[in-house]
Amino acid sequence: MKSFRFSALSGAVALALAFSAHNAHAVGVAAGTPIDNTATVDFTVGTVTSTATSNTVQVVVAEILDVDVTPPATRTPVAPGTTGQVLSFRVDNLGNGPEAFLLVANNAVTGDAFDPVAASPAIYIDSGSAPGGTPDVFDATDVPYVPGGNDPLLIADAHVYIHLVNNIPTTVADGNLGRSTLTASARTGSGTQGTVIAGQGTAGTDAVVGVTHALDLAQGEYEVLGVTVTATKSQAVVDQFGGSHPLPGANINYTIVVNAVGTGTAATAVFADNIPAGTSYVPGTLTLNGGALTDTADGDVGAYETTPQPRVRVQLGNLLQSSGTKTIQFSVVINNTP
Amino acid sequence: MIKRTRNILAAAALLACGLGSQAYAQGVQGCILLKSTAEIAKEVVDAKGVKTVTMVPADKVVPGVEVTWTVTANNICKQPSEKVTINNAVPAHMSYVASSASGAGSDITFSLDGKTFGGPAQLTVIENGAARPAHAGEYKHVRWVFKDSLAPGATAVARFRAVLN
Repeated sequence: MKSFRFSALSGAVALALAFSAHNAHAVGVAAGTPIDNTATVDFTVGTVTSTATSNTVQVVVAEILDVDVTPPATRTPVAPGTTGQVLSFRVDNLGNGPEAFLLVANNAVTGDAFDPVAASPAIYIDSGSAPGGTPDVFDATDVPYVPGGNDPLLIADAHVYIHLVNNIPTTVADGNLGRSTLTASARTGSGTQGTVIAGQGTAGTDAVVGVTHALDLAQGEYEVLGVTVTATKSQAVVDQFGGSHPLPGANINYTIVVNAVGTGTAATAVFADNIPAGTSYVPGTLTLNGGALTDTADGDVGAYETTPQPRVRVQLGNLLQSSGTKTIQFSVVINNTP
Repeated sequence: MIKRTRNILAAAALLACGLGSQAYAQGVQGCILLKSTAEIAKEVVDAKGVKTVTMVPADKVVPGVEVTWTVTANNICKQPSEKVTINNAVPAHMSYVASSASGAGSDITFSLDGKTFGGPAQLTVIENGAARPAHAGEYKHVRWVFKDSLAPGATAVARFRAVLN
């Protein structure tokens, strides 16, 4: 009988060791886990030695409510008037049981230069590894959030990425910062640490508000990286008599100076200029920063096109302030028969 | 799994009672009534804002909370009990809290495997090929050996704390 009891106890010990190894990376023992304790006593009365066993006391692991919201690692660069600009936050369930979280976005944050304007919908739940999507990055597979409808349900230690989608006002200036916050709170309850929500935890146990108050807020920032591209055009008339009179047969030499000013990037900038009425492009005169460009659309960035109308076209690429001045030159001749 | 263990224990206890009533050798089996309780500290603020900490039954606990386990051994026979030794395994999912074991008139030892018992200085763990002193959180069993006999009607108390992982 004694050996029977011992084998039962050693089985329980083995189980305990296995669980403690598993819990090394977890937030704590899972909510709802029963923990039993039984003591034994050995004693001697007269010459007789005996053993007695205590009652078994059981405690049940209650659910602890804790959450962490991680802000985006970097600012999101935006241009004035752009739509669908994204800030991605990570929401972690730091509790020990499955919990749904209420998400609230706020764009009226003080201390910034402008308020982003919520898109509709404004909050998306990342679809994770859904087919066709990219985990943790905003894409078309992500699901619009409906408060109370699809509050993200996270098991203990799990996380999900939440994307805030906003539009940028047209009135913002280069360098302006606009902030948005995301708040996640446990659906079961939040507030003062230690608050007990009786019977509302996993498997009917109590839920207890943890050290994070079961509510966390993180802030993301949009930074306006504006760029203004200016093109200044000048002309010089050279007539066939050595003068500068705009006679039929005289050439007009155009010089266009392009500059980018600001902290942003004018992506894939293209310069195009129509050939003025009454004139014709002089073949082989197109240059960029003094370097000749062929008239055909080929390997270099320049071309003379006849459709939809006669014009010169130069692909300037991504223009930054640091790109410096781009000087484009070409010539036209004044037609004899206007 | 835990539930099954409990059932086996309960069956063993029942069997012991049955035998005890029949055979004299087991007549002393019921001499000590052993009781285990679990409690946690709860802070109570009264109407005047005065905080008091009281111990309340620990039926539900959250990770990180210390549970105080108390084992009482009550001698309900008319003869004294000698060599009273209480054994309690540190419950699953819990870690023993250093220096928390107490029991008036007892020598307290610990064990990592349930076989070899010793004081904190005597328990070592082999880690990366070298022996080091065991951490309190690694103790798996606590044992109280009471030096004096337990008089009829007297109660010995053994207590320790463990934190929920």
